[in-house]
Amino acid sequence: MSLGDWLNERLGSRRLIEAFLYRRLPKAVGWPHTLGSATLFLLLVQIATGIFLSFYYVPSVEHAYGSVEYITNEIPFGAFVRGLHRWCASLVVIFAVLHLLRVFFTGAFKYPREASWVIGVLLLGTIFAFGFTGYLLPWDQKAYWATVVGTHIAEFAPGVGEMVARLLKGGPDVGIRTLGRFYAFHVLFLPAILVSLVALHLFMVIRQGIAPPPVGKLAVVRREDYRELYEESKVQGHTFLEHLLRDGMISLALLIFASWLSLRYGAPLEEIADSSTTTYVPRPEWYFYFLFELLWFFPGEWTVIATFWIPTLGFLFLLLLPFFDRGPERSPFRRPVASGAGAVLLSGIVYLTYLGAMAPEPPGRSSDQTVAKLSPDLQKGREIYEAQGCAACHIIDGQGGAAGPDLSKIGSLRDPEWLKRFIKEPQAVKPGSPMPDSKGLAEESLDVLVRYLQSLK
Amino acid sequence: MSNVENDLASLPPNRRRFITTVLGVISGAIAATLGVPLAGFFGLPAIRKREFVWAEAGSVDRFKVGEIVFVLLKPLKRPVWPEEAPKLGVFVSRKADGSFDVFHNHCTHVGCPINWNSAIQRFFSPCHGGVFDKEGRVLAGPPPRPLDRHEWKVEDGVLYAGSIYMVSERLERVGPYHS
Repeated sequence: MSLGDWLNERLGSRRLIEAFLYRRLPKAVGWPHTLGSATLFLLLVQIATGIFLSFYYVPSVEHAYGSVEYITNEIPFGAFVRGLHRWCASLVVIFAVLHLLRVFFTGAFKYPREASWVIGVLLLGTIFAFGFTGYLLPWDQKAYWATVVGTHIAEFAPGVGEMVARLLKGGPDVGIRTLGRFYAFHVLFLPAILVSLVALHLFMVIRQGIAPPPVGKLAVVRREDYRELYEESKVQGHTFLEHLLRDGMISLALLIFASWLSLRYGAPLEEIADSSTTTYVPRPEWYFYFLFELLWFFPGEWTVIATFWIPTLGFLFLLLLPFFDRGPERSPFRRPVASGAGAVLLSGIVYLTYLGAMAPEPPGRSSDQTVAKLSPDLQKGREIYEAQGCAACHIIDGQGGAAGPDLSKIGSLRDPEWLKRFIKEPQAVKPGSPMPDSKGLAEESLDVLVRYLQSLK
Repeated sequence: MSNVENDLASLPPNRRRFITTVLGVISGAIAATLGVPLAGFFGLPAIRKREFVWAEAGSVDRFKVGEIVFVLLKPLKRPVWPEEAPKLGVFVSRKADGSFDVFHNHCTHVGCPINWNSAIQRFFSPCHGGVFDKEGRVLAGPPPRPLDRHEWKVEDGVLYAGSIYMVSERLERVGPYHS
C-alpha cells in the first residue's frame, strides 16, 4: 500500500486532488490566464528569497546598511539572492497589474466574482505596501529620502495626515523607529495579510471556477443565465492539469528572466543614509513614478489633490469597480465606455511612468564634458548659468530640472533682447511666469549669460 | 466526507441568540484585552509630544550677518535609547538686527533636501523646482508654504535650535511643524 493509498483511506484525499486537477475549465482559457498564477509564483519567490535574506539582514540604523553590503559583497550568492528579491519585486507589480487588466478588460470581475476582484485590489495595495516598506530596509540614501518624501506625502491627508505620518515613522522623524516599524511591516505584518488574502482569492477561484472568457455566447451574460452558460462552456474546455502546463512554463521562464536581470543588473546600493545632505535628489521606485510626476500638475495649495485625493479616490474606485460597472456585457467591445475609460487611464499612468523614467539627470553631474567644448566667453556664460541656479529648473542637453522649459535650443527660439528682458524681469514680459527674477544680476554678466544661451541651437 | 449535516432545528432561536451574544462578548473581551495594550504599544510612542530638545548649532561668532550657512546640529544630550536623536542639518541665517532664521532642510512640498545657492541668495529643492528666497519665502515652483524653521535661542554666545514650526506667507508662525 503506497503512502497515497494510506492517506486516501483516512482522508479521502484522492478525490479532493482529482477534483482539483481534473476539473474542467471554460472554453478559450489560455495564455492570458497565466498572469494570475505568474503573480502567485513571483510572490512565492519573494517569500523564499525574503526569508533567506533575513538570515543576514540586521534591522538597526547602525547595522542595516553594513549587513546589506555584507550580503551583497561577502556572502556566496548574496548579490544574486538580493538581486532576485529586488527584480521579482518589480515583476510582481508588473504581473499583478497585467492580471488586473486582463480581468478588467474581459469583464471577469462581474457576477458572481465581485468579491474576488475586491480581494485582488486589496492584494495590489498590499504589494505596493511591500514595495514602500521594503525600499527603506537597505538604509541607503535612496531608501532614506524616498521614505522622507513618502511620509511627507502621507501628511497631506486632511485631518489625520499628521497622525498617519507619525504612526508610520514611529515619531517625528525618519529614524531608528521607522526602520524597526518598516521591517516589522515588511517581514511579519504584510506577509500575514498577503497570505490570508491570497488564500481567500484562491479559494474563491477554485470554488467558483475560472471566469469564462467573453467569447461567443459569453460576450453578454445576464445573471439568470450565468449558471447554465458557464456549465455549457466548461464542457468544451480543457482540464486544469493541462492549463497547469502553461502556468509551469511561464513560471520557469520568469524565474530565468529574473535570474538574468539579477546577474546582469543586481540590486543597487547607494551611499549610507544621510539626513543632512544638501545634494541628494530623491527618486521613488519606478512604480511610484506616476504619482511623483503627477505632483507637477498640482502646485501650491493644489498639492493635496495629487498627494491625497487622486490616489485615495482612485484606489477606492478601483476597489468598488464591480459595483459601478455591473451590466451584463463582458466583452470589452460590448462595453466601450468602460474599456475606453480604462484605456485612457492606463495610457495616462504609462505616460507618467515614462516621464518619470525619462526625467533628466540632476544638475551638476558630468557637466565637465559639456563645459570642455566651450570657448572662454561661452564658458563664462555657462558658469553664470550654473551659479545662478538656472539648472535647477531648466534642462540643457538632457541635464537639469524639469520645472521650466528645455533650453537646449533656446538660441534659435528667442532673440537676445527678449532673453535679456525676460531673465531680468520675467513677470514684466510674461505676466504670471513662475520664473524668479534676476534684477540683482550685473548687466555685464547678463550679457555673457545671454550670449551663452544664444549659442544653444 | 462532506456528510456533516447541520441541525438547526434542535437549537431553539432563543438559545442560538444567547450563545452568539455570549460568543460576541467573549470575542470583544479578548480583542479589547489584547488590542488596547498593543495599539498603545504601537501608536503612543509615535504620537507622544516630544520633550523640548535644544541642540547646539554653534558659536554665534561663526555666523556672519547676511550669510547663510549649513550646520549639523549637535544634540545637547543623547536621551534614552528610543529617543535617539537623528542627525539634523539646518541652514542658519544671521540677520542685521541680530536675530536668526534657522531653516529646516526639508522642502515644504514633499520633503526633498533643499540646498542654498549663495551666488544668487536662493534655496533650491531638487525634486520639482521649488525655489525660496533667503527668508524662506516661495519664489517659484510648487511648495505650498515658506520654509519651516526651528525655534532658536542664544545662551553664552552659543546658538541653539529647538523644535520646528511652520510659518504663513507673511512669515508669521502658524503652528507646530506637523511631524
